Amino acid sequence: MGKNADLLPGTLDMLILKAVSLKPLHGYGVLLRIRQISGEALEIPQGSLYPALYRLEHQDLIVAEWAQSENNRRAKYYTLTAAGRRRLREETAGWNRLAAAIASALNTTPEEV
Amino acid sequence: MTGMKRSDFEDGMHEELGFHIEQYTDELVRAGVPRDEAARRARIEFGGVNSVMDDCREARGLRLFDEFSRQLRYAVRLLRKTPGFTATALVTIAVCLGANLAVFAMIDSVLLRPLPFPNSNRLVTMFNTYPKAGVERDGSSLTNYFERRGRIPAIESLAAYRFGTAIVGDTGATEREPVTRVSPEFFLTLGTGPAMGRAFAEQETTYDADSVAILSDGYWRQRYHSDARIIGKRIRVDGVSRTVIGVLPPGFRFLSSEAGLYFPLASSAEQRAPLQRHSGGNVTQIIARLRTGASLAQAQAQIDAQNSALEFDDPQAKMMADAGFRTMVIPLHADHVAAIRPTLLLLQAGVLALLLIGAVNLMNLLLIRAGSRIKELAVRQALGASRSHMVSETLVETGLITLLGGLAGVAVGAAGIRLLSLLGTDRLPLGKEIHFDLRTALWGMAAAMVMGLVLATPVAWFNLRGRLGTALHSVNRWGTASRAAQHLRHSFIVAQIALAFILLSGAGLLGLSLKRVMAVSPGFRADHVLTGQISLPGKNYPDPAARTAFTEKLMTELRAQAGVMAAGFCSNVPLSGRSGKSSAAVEGRVPQPGESPRANYSYRVGGDYFGALGFSLKEGRFLNSEDARRAERVSVVDEDFARYYFPDSSALGRRLFQGTDQGKAADAFTIVGVVGNVKQAGLADDAAQGAVYYPNNLQDGEFFVVARTGPPPEALGLTLQKVVRRIDSDLPVNDVQSMDARITDSLVVRRSPAVLAGLFSAIALLLTAIGTYGVLSYAVAQRRREIGVRMALGARPAQIRSQFLSLAGRLMACGMFAGMAGAWLAGQGMGTVLYHVPALDWPVLAGAACVMAVVSMIACVLPSQRAARISPMESLAEE
Repeated sequence: MGKNADLLPGTLDMLILKAVSLKPLHGYGVLLRIRQISGEALEIPQGSLYPALYRLEHQDLIVAEWAQSENNRRAKYYTLTAAGRRRLREETAGWNRLAAAIASALNTTPEEV
Repeated sequence: MTGMKRSDFEDGMHEELGFHIEQYTDELVRAGVPRDEAARRARIEFGGVNSVMDDCREARGLRLFDEFSRQLRYAVRLLRKTPGFTATALVTIAVCLGANLAVFAMIDSVLLRPLPFPNSNRLVTMFNTYPKAGVERDGSSLTNYFERRGRIPAIESLAAYRFGTAIVGDTGATEREPVTRVSPEFFLTLGTGPAMGRAFAEQETTYDADSVAILSDGYWRQRYHSDARIIGKRIRVDGVSRTVIGVLPPGFRFLSSEAGLYFPLASSAEQRAPLQRHSGGNVTQIIARLRTGASLAQAQAQIDAQNSALEFDDPQAKMMADAGFRTMVIPLHADHVAAIRPTLLLLQAGVLALLLIGAVNLMNLLLIRAGSRIKELAVRQALGASRSHMVSETLVETGLITLLGGLAGVAVGAAGIRLLSLLGTDRLPLGKEIHFDLRTALWGMAAAMVMGLVLATPVAWFNLRGRLGTALHSVNRWGTASRAAQHLRHSFIVAQIALAFILLSGAGLLGLSLKRVMAVSPGFRADHVLTGQISLPGKNYPDPAARTAFTEKLMTELRAQAGVMAAGFCSNVPLSGRSGKSSAAVEGRVPQPGESPRANYSYRVGGDYFGALGFSLKEGRFLNSEDARRAERVSVVDEDFARYYFPDSSALGRRLFQGTDQGKAADAFTIVGVVGNVKQAGLADDAAQGAVYYPNNLQDGEFFVVARTGPPPEALGLTLQKVVRRIDSDLPVNDVQSMDARITDSLVVRRSPAVLAGLFSAIALLLTAIGTYGVLSYAVAQRRREIGVRMALGARPAQIRSQFLSLAGRLMACGMFAGMAGAWLAGQGMGTVLYHVPALDWPVLAGAACVMAVVSMIACVLPSQRAARISPMESLAEE
């Protein structure tokens, strides 16, 4: 495992929505997918994953369905809903604005002031 | 939780988390970790499964629910552990709340709920009053109706009506039915017209065109089996045929009327003439609907103005003014229930006091309970139970008690309504409307919830305030007594004793008042008298001769019956509530300046009426059956009449005229006898109004038959009916009752409140006894150790006992002192319903104090005794 970055507060929900948006996943799959798409940089604390999933499901941003897993076990698969897709779009845009603003702030040189 | 069962949720969560841990274990195994070690590490890295699951539940909003159901289970367990407390609490709430609900249902139906007509708050009634002549209420005359309708700007619509009865049906199958005769605008004024057919028309108000009828929905369903083609059919009423022109909608009920049929209120031109303006006699009544935006005061002012304008050319005006004549305009609903309102409010106040006592009692019991658990609570707080947790636990527990008690209270209330109707509430104005509905039940549950909150507050406060450290260090199992809590308990006991004392003395006043009324002599011998009402229909008995023929035959046959000692008849019997007043002018007497005309009770009597009722003869002779036939006109007056008009001489031989004016000498009635005063309208009537008795000559067909019987009068009821049927097979006898029963009936508005108040105060006493006993027992138990020490140091049991008794005595004295003040206030408020009983009646107060003292002492003696029997060795060795 590479260098792990700490998860910023508030970003877990966004990452879960992103992970689920690519393909329906079970909880463990979400964990693996986030690790994979972040280039192994982000590690989700396992204990906080499920409460977050339940909260998102309760907010109707994702829906769950029981299905067969790849190794033929019964597992709960999460899919993004239309509302979830909308939320993901908003959060992505918001995050990009924030990141750009911070990057621009951090790249400022004395001459530019 | 929505759409999914709780157990499914839990199973799913377990499976999902299990799957996760297995997957992770598999991954670790693939990375080369031995399986045992992998499983261990997977679990550790996942974190505490239980706390994750709790977080998941919270994420789904389930945690509060869990917490609540856990506390509920805990509360149920606690309540089941103390069945005595639980039963006491539940019964207290059930009885106190149930009594309140029953009385509230009555108040709601009678006083609060508007009459069942659109915008019924604009409905008013009006009546003539002549207070200086002793006539508070004289209804209205037909002349009033014709003069006022359409002429009072503030009034949109005005109608006259008259209650009565009629014999309906064909020969051999007749029944007497309550009917109402109404003017054409009656239904328009109420705002509710026939559901089928039409209302009465203006041309149907004369005697030759009034043979139409409107049926009530109930009568139509019952008698005509909801015949859809009833309109246009003919029915027989008093031997005359009438055409049905309409059927009223279901649920139509005018005030308390039971009328099944409505007829036009027909009249002749003479009956509408100005001379009849003051001929109301409480027979005809007027209702009116105020115009939108018009006020009662405007209507009153316009009626007053019209009255004075009309007086201008009225020959009677001077005398009517002397009599204090005025027409009162009063809201219809308020007027209809005015007589019963103070009694109902009084009952509600009494029953609220009961609820207060119950609540205070419960609060004390709950505080004691909390006190005995203080150490347990302290330990739990020390172990991390949060304050909000402790508060919500108290709320859940008291809430559970009050809600369960509330449910039982709703049942008690529903049963209470039955009890109330046994006490005669269905004969109250609008009493038929009293029922226990969902609305009342919901009110009850809401009250139970509020009660739960109120009761939980001091307990929660006590629990939070209980100082942890002291409670834990205390050697005593109850921890140290908080002085504040003790004060609170004691002041509650004082409040309870005071309230119970007020209730008890209030019940005493009502009881004494009832006793005083019952001790009043009606002025005649009421025992062994049978009475019944007969109404001769005008069709078969068109003139006085026909009516006299009937009554004479009836008297002869009745006297021939075994068991009948004397028989007579009268236009009205005393205490029937129907006695009418009218004026009589004494021959040659000029009213003194400023003297108001006096209205007297006026009766037409026949047969041996005075003998049958047992009047006392003061002077001269009674009327007899010959008097009606003789050319010479005679009358009998009562003592009050004689004393008023002939204070210095005998009334015998003096002459009087019917009505207010001196008439022709040939029309005068010579007074041949003076009889004792009788109570005319009710036993509690104080001012005698004078009465004049004229011989027979029934002006209309309505009269009461009266018989003095050897055997109990009830036994001859059937005989009376049979005798009447033998003379006229169509003629029913109504309202057959013994005179004693009439008197009993006339007292129902006094007896029922007294009975209820007695019941309430008995419950209050019991509750107070339980409360006092509980608090004192607690005090003894709490100080067991102290008592033990004192006894070990030489205190005698008698000293210990007297210590607790004197505590009880002090509480009782304080309570009764406050109670005295309250009882005085309550007595002031009860003034209108009391008869010859002062607001502050010392014997009643002393009696109440004695009862209170005895009951409280019984409640105190047991715990004090227990204190005196504490063994020092045991109490010190206990901990």
